[in-house]
Amino acid sequence: MTLTTAGPESTTSVSPTHRQLWLRSRWFLLCAVLLLLVGLLIAGLGGSGQYPPLDPRSPDRDGARAVVALLEKQGLTTRTVATQDDLAAALAEPGTTVVLPEPDLLTTPQLARIAEVRRGSDSRLVLISPEAPALAALAPGIALATTPGGIPRSAGSTGVPADCPLPEADLAGHAELGGLLYQPGAGDTACYPRFGAYPLIRHTGPGSRELVVLGSGRLLSNDRLDKDGNASLGMGLLGSRQRLVWYLPDYAAAAAAGDAPAGGQRTLDDYIPRGWTWAGLQLAVAALLAAVWRGRRLGPVVTENLPVVVRATETTEGRARLYQRAKARGRAADALRQAARHRLAPALGVPPTAGEPDPAALCAAVADRSGRPAAEVHALLYGTPPTDDAALVRFTDDLDALERQVRQP
Amino acid sequence: MVLTGRTALLAALGALVVGLLLPSWAGIGAVTLPVLLGVLVDLALAAPVRTLRLDRSGDTAIRLGESATVELTVTNPSKRPLRAQLRDAWPPSAWRPGTAAAGSRHTVTIPAGERRRLTTLLAPTRRGDHHAHRVTVRSMGPLGLAGRQGSHRAPWTVRALPPFTSRKHLPSRLARLRELDGRTSVLARGQGTEFDSLREYLPGDDVRSIDWRASARRNTVAVRTWRPERDRHILIVLDTGRTSAGRVGDAPRLDAALDAALLLTALATRAGDRVDLLAHDLHRRGSVVGRSPNEILPAFTNAMATLEPALLETDMRALTSSALRMAPHRSLIVLITGLDARPIEEGLLPHLPLLTRRHEVVLASVADPRLDDLATARGTVRDVYGAAAAEQTRADRRRTAERLTRHGATVLDAPPATLPPALADAYLALKAAGRL
Repeated sequence: MTLTTAGPESTTSVSPTHRQLWLRSRWFLLCAVLLLLVGLLIAGLGGSGQYPPLDPRSPDRDGARAVVALLEKQGLTTRTVATQDDLAAALAEPGTTVVLPEPDLLTTPQLARIAEVRRGSDSRLVLISPEAPALAALAPGIALATTPGGIPRSAGSTGVPADCPLPEADLAGHAELGGLLYQPGAGDTACYPRFGAYPLIRHTGPGSRELVVLGSGRLLSNDRLDKDGNASLGMGLLGSRQRLVWYLPDYAAAAAAGDAPAGGQRTLDDYIPRGWTWAGLQLAVAALLAAVWRGRRLGPVVTENLPVVVRATETTEGRARLYQRAKARGRAADALRQAARHRLAPALGVPPTAGEPDPAALCAAVADRSGRPAAEVHALLYGTPPTDDAALVRFTDDLDALERQVRQP
Repeated sequence: MVLTGRTALLAALGALVVGLLLPSWAGIGAVTLPVLLGVLVDLALAAPVRTLRLDRSGDTAIRLGESATVELTVTNPSKRPLRAQLRDAWPPSAWRPGTAAAGSRHTVTIPAGERRRLTTLLAPTRRGDHHAHRVTVRSMGPLGLAGRQGSHRAPWTVRALPPFTSRKHLPSRLARLRELDGRTSVLARGQGTEFDSLREYLPGDDVRSIDWRASARRNTVAVRTWRPERDRHILIVLDTGRTSAGRVGDAPRLDAALDAALLLTALATRAGDRVDLLAHDLHRRGSVVGRSPNEILPAFTNAMATLEPALLETDMRALTSSALRMAPHRSLIVLITGLDARPIEEGLLPHLPLLTRRHEVVLASVADPRLDDLATARGTVRDVYGAAAAEQTRADRRRTAERLTRHGATVLDAPPATLPPALADAYLALKAAGRL
């Protein structure tokens, strides 16, 4: 490699120059930029498909496009409204069904304003899973079913029989009803009883102004619409009037304007002063700088080839374990006896013949020196192998005792 | 480029400013931009690392266990003062255990155009060559927020020589050698021993060495004394194959073999003999031939410093032929190898007669004291089986040694601490017997 930009002093430097860094990293940088562009492109194309649940335009599993499409095929006119004024106008129209998919996300003033509107005759307002504030504002007669502890009761959505005189429910038969459960007011029609409460209640006001409270919007979703009598019930609830209006306000904008949602769903974020979110962002910047600080080592780790560590007695220890596992007591005793004979013979002056001392001479010499009977000495030095491990240990101790006796009589 | 903790701390403190005074993008910018500006200023004003000049000096060879001092002279030719942290990186085994991190780091301040000398203290824990890895310099800017970092290659090698711990046995063996000089009247004559002088007869002297003519000239009985032969040739052959790799205590067998070889070399050189060295496993690993007495020990330690046990079966045939080529005349061949039955019986025994036909052969082997511990352990079943296996191994070694002795070799089997003096004693005994 030739360093055209480097001076003569830099011959010992091993750090790459800027030019080398650029040459080395340009393809990686190019690839990274390409990846980023492709990612942005994909995000840009697919980003518009994000709908909230039960949006009449949404083809997602939790959308409500299917039921709206069915109703349009029946000749209904459907539209969505996004502002309070449009909603008030829609509510005032006669012969209209208005759906509020998320009444709990509306703020208290918004709810109050909806309640103030004088609704047109022969109209229907559908509330999907409203909680106490929305119920209080829009359906004063209907109450949340609660446990003795005051907690709202709810049930999973499963197929249940209609069991009520409401024509739509009677027509649909079994349908997947559940979610929040309610107690009807006087004169209301309550359907699909679950645990003594009802997930579907119709309240009829003067002039055929109906109010329908639904515990869960699940039966209207694209995913579940074809199950049980869901489609029939959904079309019956939403398609009883000629016009269908779906209220889809920008909930986030209302919240950002400073009105907390009436539903009381305040998260942890709401309790933290707004400034500290920015401080957290600044802390993230600090963490990034700290990562850069800790990430750079003072030079690379130095490696080294180390020699293998093999103990010289490894094979001997391995052989000991093999003896023990194979219960080779005879072999072990033989080795110990032979070693003892080799130590005893020179001590007693018994000459070896072909590497081994003469058995008779050795036994006689040992018996003479130790004062033990020759038969016992012979049994120790040339006897039969021990029968179990305890016998082997005993035998070893006997052999040691004999050896000590010979050396220090 | 490097950042410091100060940069991160400033940014973290800025979170207070953002949180209390300016909770917006502007606040984050107001805090982060000055920090980044400071970083840029530091980067621009830090002394350049690339143009630094590094020179080394200091120890190049030490005995294992001693410490080496290596000096690094850093010259700052730029016009800016260098405030730097510097890491002089060496392999882990070049440091005293536990000091690698602290010992390699230095903090220096070098004014523009000046130079400073840094001292790195090494204490190698392994024999052999230790090469300096590289020097990394982190040059900090004046604000202490950021700096430049780069590395330089500053080659240096410290060679850790064998420790030669058996040196302590040398004085006593030299004394024995001097005794040999005057006492050779008791030696067997006629083996080419050299006439030294006449002295008065003392009880115990061999009557056959009485010089009657000289006794007739004086009024006491005089005996002739003989001096041991000088200028004999000794060839030390180190087997660096797999059997030398086994650890005895904390060091491989080879280290004990080197120690024994060094003691024998020192002794034989004083006795006036010539010593050559051959290290061999599958191939020849090194040899030292025909050095003068003054330079032989340095030459040997240097050659031994880089010897490492190879995990290969030693080619005894090639080893024997190499040894024969290096010893054309009658010599003492000291072969330091293992006493394991199979390599000896299959490898060495077929070729041993070639060596013993013309040369005196001593085979030295490093025994493992742990084997004795195993053989004397008693108490549990496991201990007894261990003792049996150890006795089996010892019997195998004994049998191998007997076979070698029958072929005319002198066999030594001693633990690392006693092998060097045992080998020196064997040499002295052979010399006293006139068998060289």
